[in-house]
Amino acid sequence: MSVNIGERIHEECGIAGKSDKNIRGLITDISRCSLHDGPGVRTVVYFKGCGLRCKWCHNPETLSAEKNMMFLSAKCIKCGRCLEACPQCHTVVDNEIQIDRSKCKHCGRCVESCPAGALQMMGREVTTEELMSEIRKDSHYYETSGGGVTLSGGECLLQSEFAAALLEKCKEEGIHTAIETALFVPWECVERVLPYVDLVFADLKIADSKKHKEYTGQPNERILENLKRLSEAGKDIIVRIPLIPGVNDTQEEIEKLGGVINTLGPGVQAVEVLKYNYLAESKYQSIGLVWENFGKETQSEEMLEKIRQQLKTITGLEII
Amino acid sequence: MYYVLKYIHENIKERLSAEETARQFGYSKWHFTRKFYEYAGMTFVEYVRHYRIQIAALEILSGKKITEVAFDYGYDTIGGFNKAFLKEYGCLPREYVKQTKESQGYYERRKLSMYQLTQRVVNLREEVVNKRTYAKKYSAYRNVYYTIGGDRALKKGLSSDEVVAEATACVIDNFKPFIAPGELVTGYNFADKPYYESFIPNRNEKDFQILRDSEIPEADIEECLNASEEVRNWNFLSGVHLGKKIPLIPTEEEMDAFNDRAALGRCISSNHSVIGYEDVLKLGFEGIYKKIENFEQKNGGGSIYVAMKRVCKASGTIGEKYAEEAKRLLATEEFSEESAYVKKDLELIAEVCSRVPRYPATSFREAVQALWFAHLLNTWEDTVNANSLGRLDQILYPYYKEDLEKGLITKEQAFELICCLWLKLYRDYDVQQSCVGGTNPDGSSAVNELSYMMLDATERLDFVRCLSVRFSSKSEKEFVKRALEVVGHVQKGVPFFFNDEVMIPALISKGITEKDAYGYTQLGCVETLIPGKTNPHAVSGEANFLKAIEYVLCDGNGMKNPEISCGVKTGDLEQFDTYEKFYAAIVKQVDHILDITCSMVRKHTDTVNAPKPYKSMLTEGCMESGRDFNKEGALYDYYQIMFEGVPNLADSLAVIKKFVYDEKKYTLAQLKEILEQDFPDEAVRVEFVNKAPKFGNDIDEVDRVAVELVDHACDVLEELSHKYGMSFHAQPFTFLWMIDQGRQTAASPDGRRCGEILAYSVSPMQGRDFNGLTAVLNSIAKFPTKRTPGTTSAIVEVDPKLFTDKNIGILTDILLAGAAKGLSNVQFNTIDADTLIDAKAHPEKYNNLAVRVSGFSQKFNLLSPELQEHIIGRTKHACL
Repeated sequence: MSVNIGERIHEECGIAGKSDKNIRGLITDISRCSLHDGPGVRTVVYFKGCGLRCKWCHNPETLSAEKNMMFLSAKCIKCGRCLEACPQCHTVVDNEIQIDRSKCKHCGRCVESCPAGALQMMGREVTTEELMSEIRKDSHYYETSGGGVTLSGGECLLQSEFAAALLEKCKEEGIHTAIETALFVPWECVERVLPYVDLVFADLKIADSKKHKEYTGQPNERILENLKRLSEAGKDIIVRIPLIPGVNDTQEEIEKLGGVINTLGPGVQAVEVLKYNYLAESKYQSIGLVWENFGKETQSEEMLEKIRQQLKTITGLEII
Repeated sequence: MYYVLKYIHENIKERLSAEETARQFGYSKWHFTRKFYEYAGMTFVEYVRHYRIQIAALEILSGKKITEVAFDYGYDTIGGFNKAFLKEYGCLPREYVKQTKESQGYYERRKLSMYQLTQRVVNLREEVVNKRTYAKKYSAYRNVYYTIGGDRALKKGLSSDEVVAEATACVIDNFKPFIAPGELVTGYNFADKPYYESFIPNRNEKDFQILRDSEIPEADIEECLNASEEVRNWNFLSGVHLGKKIPLIPTEEEMDAFNDRAALGRCISSNHSVIGYEDVLKLGFEGIYKKIENFEQKNGGGSIYVAMKRVCKASGTIGEKYAEEAKRLLATEEFSEESAYVKKDLELIAEVCSRVPRYPATSFREAVQALWFAHLLNTWEDTVNANSLGRLDQILYPYYKEDLEKGLITKEQAFELICCLWLKLYRDYDVQQSCVGGTNPDGSSAVNELSYMMLDATERLDFVRCLSVRFSSKSEKEFVKRALEVVGHVQKGVPFFFNDEVMIPALISKGITEKDAYGYTQLGCVETLIPGKTNPHAVSGEANFLKAIEYVLCDGNGMKNPEISCGVKTGDLEQFDTYEKFYAAIVKQVDHILDITCSMVRKHTDTVNAPKPYKSMLTEGCMESGRDFNKEGALYDYYQIMFEGVPNLADSLAVIKKFVYDEKKYTLAQLKEILEQDFPDEAVRVEFVNKAPKFGNDIDEVDRVAVELVDHACDVLEELSHKYGMSFHAQPFTFLWMIDQGRQTAASPDGRRCGEILAYSVSPMQGRDFNGLTAVLNSIAKFPTKRTPGTTSAIVEVDPKLFTDKNIGILTDILLAGAAKGLSNVQFNTIDADTLIDAKAHPEKYNNLAVRVSGFSQKFNLLSPELQEHIIGRTKHACL
């Protein structure tokens, strides 16, 4: 395995980033007591950086493999401390704080100065041990509930060395492990973590590769290839479909997705459909990105049920 | 063909084809196919698939992995197997396992919890909860005759024991029995508002109104209104009047501490009890009377025995009065075919009440009625408030079991009786606590069918009922889950949860025997005691820990009230050049606050104390020692000391450590100025809120401070117990008084503004916990809960979604894991903030909406706006 695998991977996935060979990870957040990301009570670690640019992404702060500064205007008390800390990026226009992101060097001075927590740095470097001390805090709850740790993101497999080191430690301590991945990574990355993963949540977004590229920035061949290999490797997989209004939630698209799932082999245990989440809009604003508007309505329960039934009939799998 | 099927069964895991099988048995393929169809009613392929899936299903049920089974039976993909399964069973293997397990595992439990409310109970509920036709009747009778009885006794110059006995007995002798249509448990006790519960009637329009409605004879009303000043001034409810929080003759320092709301000592010696109900059920008042006589002789008599005998004799007659009333109704009323059931009810009441409570209960029905009468009489002695019932599932179970075995009662009838008892206990503000579940001394579970039934009744009746559940990490999961389901379904924060694993050791550490400790129960909100053996003096002292900050910063003086100086002089701020020195000064102030609190409790105890002959008669130790319940007669006599503002103090110290000592951003003098001016710069306040760790997020550096403070305070209470010659129990609990205390407390470094409410009990300060449920539970479980027999109480705000069928199993796991970590008492609020905000704006839409307030649940509409805001503030918004 090449010494510079991290850099090569980032290059292949088309995003800038550092090698993770010194086993420090870049994460945005760690969230405890989650019930949606695998069995039981789970601690979820959000990795930073992703090779895809899905237009609907509801964790846009995790996309870039660099730190970004987040500004939550609702929390801002207009004290002006950020103006003193970093006058080049922060100015006042019409009594509102304005941030010139083109000048931002992610120095973090403004974040430090902000008393209200309105300015936050997305992305912090952590060691596996630092994360483990947080993860261990809920080990009692994992035991009673059959829960554990889930790596999410971002694309956790872009930092596969770090992810593998973290997951290995979890397995050493008998903690159940899951990853949430879009699988847009070289197969080595998947292979690297496989020995330490109990359950894989793999995203499947759009069946048609061209359309996939249109909405996520990348074709889907590599993803499907990885999914198949993962399935053959005997891993338990739950395929996740984020339903985007008008993009992949039509009967026709679901039909195609079901067909794709049928080709994936024996590892797929179930399919989970995720309702469209339009609440990410404010997050886009707060990190200075533009939100692609897919409407402010999510799928109705009836529609979800219909999609579930359709997928169940095609695949014969349990649809969550 | 039989052998063909046998062959298929034996080789079901192999690849089977019709052709090959036909050949094996010497058939032609065409002949075989026809013969097989005739014999099996389906084709060969169909039969193989049918049998294969059935066998596979059994293997899956036995716990084998679905994937493995699929491959074992020759399916290449899970999808193919699932499709076949779907065809056979109409559902997927995973769903099949779930459904089957549910129908098997839940069967026993569901047998118990499938009861529906009977029409009778529905009608009674409507009457009790909504119509309230009889609301004020009881209060007039109780108060008029209590006044008359007390007045007559005082005029005769009787002892204070006898005054109370005469007052109570006078009520029993003179009240008018009243049987509401349809009720199975009789005996009326409903005070519409706390005022009507205990008032000495005066000549004013308000009181006249109540008196006129009551049907009390004119002469008696006159006698009551003419009662002497002496009886009017007589303190029947000594200690309980919350306004009288200071000792009668306070020192200047005590007066200051009270005015500054740093320390309060009262002595709750009224209407906070759980009497020995078992005595009434097993011996009857007849038997108890003999017991009194025995001890009277043995101990050479005394007014206490005269008083007990007086009240005991009268108590024995209460049933007969109801029996007579039932008989009168039977003789005078006309019963149509439709109301034939009323006739039957009355006959039953007449029969039951002619036995109990004078004689021992001989059936479940009699036991329930006797228990209710015993409670009723207890509340007549000193009003309802927190006079509580204890472990009802344990007390009543032997009677239920026996009746069931003898075929005298059905489960449905027992459930109906429990509902009737629950309805008797209904009040807007209900702190008549009862308890179900628990652990036996041999480690086995005490949960029985009645425990489930009582949870069911609470769920089905859907009103606030003060109910708690005793459990431990080793409890059967089904029971804890059922209790959580009730929390989720009723949405009123009941029942609440007490962890035997820490409560029992905590009680044993205070000298309570192991056997007794295993029998503990709660009264009122969360106050712990051994039923029938204890005068717990619940919530007797309040120590406001947060005041320590003011007193250190102002060298012993108040900051909110600068004219007050009741802290220790810990010296100039300059000398606190290290955090350790500052912390030591804080500890000194806490010690002093605790000392003043306990000294006030001591004085209160010495000065005011109305005797309680009824409680004495039903509390172990009093008869034996010849000392009243309120003269340290109870076997266990202790005082609970509440700790307030602990999370605020810990958060404040974390801020001081970070900003003053580690980062040196502010000096102590600057900090003092900021607090004195109540955060003139909002940026500084939010900085303190956001930039230092807060208790409740499982962050050791700040949690440890809170834990150390409580641990230290437990040590101090030990010392103070010796100093004042009484037993103090640590009770990190605030009731509602975090509002009053907060009002008199200056701005604090945790970012709390001057006058704002303090944290509730040891719950994180409202809105300052953001790390999830497990983090909150971990933080709270760090407290030395085996040293706090008064319970370390916390209200945890939980997203209602956690209570859905999908998640409740995990929530149960979380609670059980929390118990193993050392949680003491947890109560849940399950209503999301948006609902509460809407309820505040549109009260008319939310008449039955209730929330966990503070160790009790209350209808949201009945809370003050301030309290409503507090609850909204501490409530989590529903997560995405």
